Amino acid sequence: MRIGVFVCQCGTNIAGTVATDKVAEAALAMRDVLHAETLQYTCSDPGQRAIIDAVQKKGLTRVVIAACSPRMHETTFRRTIGQAGMNAYMMEMVNIREHCSWIHSDIDTATDKAIDLVQKGVARVRRQVPLYSTTVPVTRRVLVIGGGVAGIQAALDIADSGLPVTLVERGPTIGGNMARLDKTFPTLDCSSCILTPRMVEAKQHENISLMVNTEIEQVRGYIGNFEVDVRKKATCVIEDKCTGCMICQEKCPGKAPDEFNAGVGQSKAISIPFPQAVPLVAALRKEHCRRFIKGKCGVCKKVCPADAVDYEQEDEITTEMFGAVVVATGYELYDWREAYPDYGGGQYPDVVTSLQYERMLSASGPTAGHVQRPSDGAEPKQVVFVSCVGSRDESVGRPLCCSVGCMYIAKQAILTKEHIPDSQSYVFYIDIRATGKGYEEFTRRAQKEFGAIYLRGRVGKIYPSNGQLVVMGTDTLSGGPVEIEADLVVLATGFAAARGAGELARKLNISYDQYEFLSESHPKLRPVETTTGGIFLAGACQAPKDIPDSVAQAGAAAAKVIGLLSRGEIETSPMVAAVDQLRCIGCFKCRDVCSYNAIEALELRDGRQVAKVIDSLCQGCGVCNVACPPSVVSLKGYTDNQLIAETMELLR
Amino acid sequence: MSDIVSIIQRVLGDVDLVLGWTATGAGGVAAPARFQTAAEAERAVFNATCVHNLAVHLPRLKDQTVGIVAKGCDSRSVAQLIQEREIDRDRVKVIGVRGLGGSIDVRKIWRFHGYGVPVDARTDSLFIDGKEVDRQEFLRQKCLGCRDMDPVIYDELFEASGSSITGIADAATVETALSETGLGTSLTAAEAMSAAGEDESRPLGELFAKMNSAERRLFWREQYSRCIRCYACREACPMCFCRDVCIMQTTDPHWTGAGVDAGEAEMMQLIRVNHLAGRCTGCGECERACPVGIPLMLLMNKQNQVIEELFGYRAGTDLEARPPLLTFDIKGDSRSEK
Repeated sequence: MRIGVFVCQCGTNIAGTVATDKVAEAALAMRDVLHAETLQYTCSDPGQRAIIDAVQKKGLTRVVIAACSPRMHETTFRRTIGQAGMNAYMMEMVNIREHCSWIHSDIDTATDKAIDLVQKGVARVRRQVPLYSTTVPVTRRVLVIGGGVAGIQAALDIADSGLPVTLVERGPTIGGNMARLDKTFPTLDCSSCILTPRMVEAKQHENISLMVNTEIEQVRGYIGNFEVDVRKKATCVIEDKCTGCMICQEKCPGKAPDEFNAGVGQSKAISIPFPQAVPLVAALRKEHCRRFIKGKCGVCKKVCPADAVDYEQEDEITTEMFGAVVVATGYELYDWREAYPDYGGGQYPDVVTSLQYERMLSASGPTAGHVQRPSDGAEPKQVVFVSCVGSRDESVGRPLCCSVGCMYIAKQAILTKEHIPDSQSYVFYIDIRATGKGYEEFTRRAQKEFGAIYLRGRVGKIYPSNGQLVVMGTDTLSGGPVEIEADLVVLATGFAAARGAGELARKLNISYDQYEFLSESHPKLRPVETTTGGIFLAGACQAPKDIPDSVAQAGAAAAKVIGLLSRGEIETSPMVAAVDQLRCIGCFKCRDVCSYNAIEALELRDGRQVAKVIDSLCQGCGVCNVACPPSVVSLKGYTDNQLIAETMELLR
Repeated sequence: MSDIVSIIQRVLGDVDLVLGWTATGAGGVAAPARFQTAAEAERAVFNATCVHNLAVHLPRLKDQTVGIVAKGCDSRSVAQLIQEREIDRDRVKVIGVRGLGGSIDVRKIWRFHGYGVPVDARTDSLFIDGKEVDRQEFLRQKCLGCRDMDPVIYDELFEASGSSITGIADAATVETALSETGLGTSLTAAEAMSAAGEDESRPLGELFAKMNSAERRLFWREQYSRCIRCYACREACPMCFCRDVCIMQTTDPHWTGAGVDAGEAEMMQLIRVNHLAGRCTGCGECERACPVGIPLMLLMNKQNQVIEELFGYRAGTDLEARPPLLTFDIKGDSRSEK
């Protein structure tokens, strides 16, 4: 065994606190070490060349690099020693920067510690064996979950590259929340005018198969090969036959809440959410249908000219294989009612959410764009906007910023003035967060050109008085309390993760935070990847964000998917768990704790059941190692023997 | 009401063998036995000296259908083994014992009345050499304050009330039984001589609670220095089913050294305790089996108590429960790995 030790100075980052030459000298005295040197910047070209030279001239079989965290340069150095002709895993990085030089000030003790750490690395690398990654063939099909703007964008980008995409949406139409918006900031484009062409394109695209009223039932498999069960919910309408004529909706006697219009106005038990829905197919909601509640009716079936209504329809579960998944489940508005009793808790009809107001402003909304307050249909003259309801509010456990509230308030204040020229808008705000391109100018315009009065402070209470609402707040700039009599109050409600986001994340085995927003793998460097290979994030399912950010992220996710599937096969990490099947007692505790479903049972020829690791599924987390009673599951590259050797070295 | 013999005979109709007891131990004390035929089952007894936890044999009898006579404490081991899928619920028939009122520590009897003295241990009374004595005085330590007198799971119920409990104290019968069957005795003279067993563990527990950490270290050093590394603790434990591949004996990796000294013994026991976290049902067999009287349950009980406080979990009390340390809980507050 011939070990080489390379001690990095990292300029003065390490050499400032650790006497690197002493470390190299001490390393030479360690068992099996026959080469040790210091390098100014090991990761630089000359640094890497020095390693290659030493390996080749001295015939080194193992390398220890004492430098920064392996999170920084492990890949670099694996490639380096690979270039030198060695197995890329016969290398150990010892962190003497983050773990030593940066956190100590005394040179002598820091140097001693660095020597100990190198000793540990040498002990460990002595027990390293060559590791080889395997490859698995990939399924060149992609699943996109969620048909909002992010999902549509990702699906289109991926489909354009030639990969078949299945776009799954649980609602009756794609379009998501963006389809419900009237205008978009800061350009005041008509939201549906820019979105509907994309929706139609998704429908028409030869590589996209659209599945609405469909939810993810179960996910098995791993990067490159996910096996997904999807449930197509029964809507009592045969999709292929329905022509979208809406006669059923017209004649249906069953009233139902209008979810598309955020509860403003009413819909029917059988309905199409809005005229530009894609696909333009009616869906029946059994919980509101007279036939299913009372047992009689059948009007829709009678009037349907296409004979598309089928009351006997049942949920259908199908299974398909996908190579990659993009999750774009979006957001929904935070349900403010319980947390804010002081704002009426939902009892006052004229206190509405921003999305409800959006539908009131929209020409395709229930009032055809005429702003009418819900209580009596009168046109409101005094409109008060309350920002940060359910966001930036520790007292209700929602400290996060919704990131778009400031902007859409400005937009809605402008639109209010355009709809009702003699109206006056008031905006209670905490800070105005307008960081995007053209955003700051836009909020200024709302104030200067459209006369919105901005008051810096929180609203304490809203109560009804003489057919109006009194909004009590503080103006922290003038320092006094403010009371405004309002005809309509619009709450800028924050973002919550879409209903069931956490449940879906668990099915997909991806991480999520306490608000059920899905977690990216690294906040800076891997913002669209999840911790599970082959699953990517797009849009507001990851964190509150606006349309341009969602679209950009969707494009990024699409690029990742295309990159992944452009290769016919995927290389898997060799640092996965391995079972010593001779000694496995078949208790399957490893399988119980594995959160990646990476362990299966294998029957040996003598009939014994033993555990087997599915390499391509294993993420190398090591939980199974701990759960195994006889300790016969180990992680390649982190075997018990290696860890014991390291520990013993430190205890010496 | 059925006696134990007829219950075992009935159960034998459904299973390959039944684990129970005969009275072939010294002084008529019960010894574990397996019954495969109705004729063999004639010799079955149940009395308050049936101390052993027979569940220890179940993992090794996986390929057979097995009936087992189980006290409340033993039934928890059976349940935990089922929970860990080590044995199949459908392949085991549990003859649960109810109304035992605690079992007798014969070592206490032998210490004061001589080894091999005839014992008749019933649920409500105890006769030593034909004379009635205070039963309470000779109960096993773990039976005082027991929370599991009734079986957690059972298919048949054996009511161990005073009249139905079966015990024999006739030395001649024992001799005959022994010569006829050759079924092993479980209690040896060596075991009888070991006086430092479980009967002292509670006073020890109280004593231990008062020690500071240095005193505790010293205490354990002293205890472990007696360990002869016979692995009786492991062999007697129903939850230690790794057997040949137990990490205490592997040399690759070398978790514990091969030497017999206090340090290695301590390492060994700490590993054993850890391996039983959330799995130990507190049956106390390890401590009962220890020939040098190391109070092993002191550590185990402490851990069981912590597990109960942390997770509200007691091993082997609920067939549906998933052991907390064998669960990857994804319902926690956050799985964010940022």
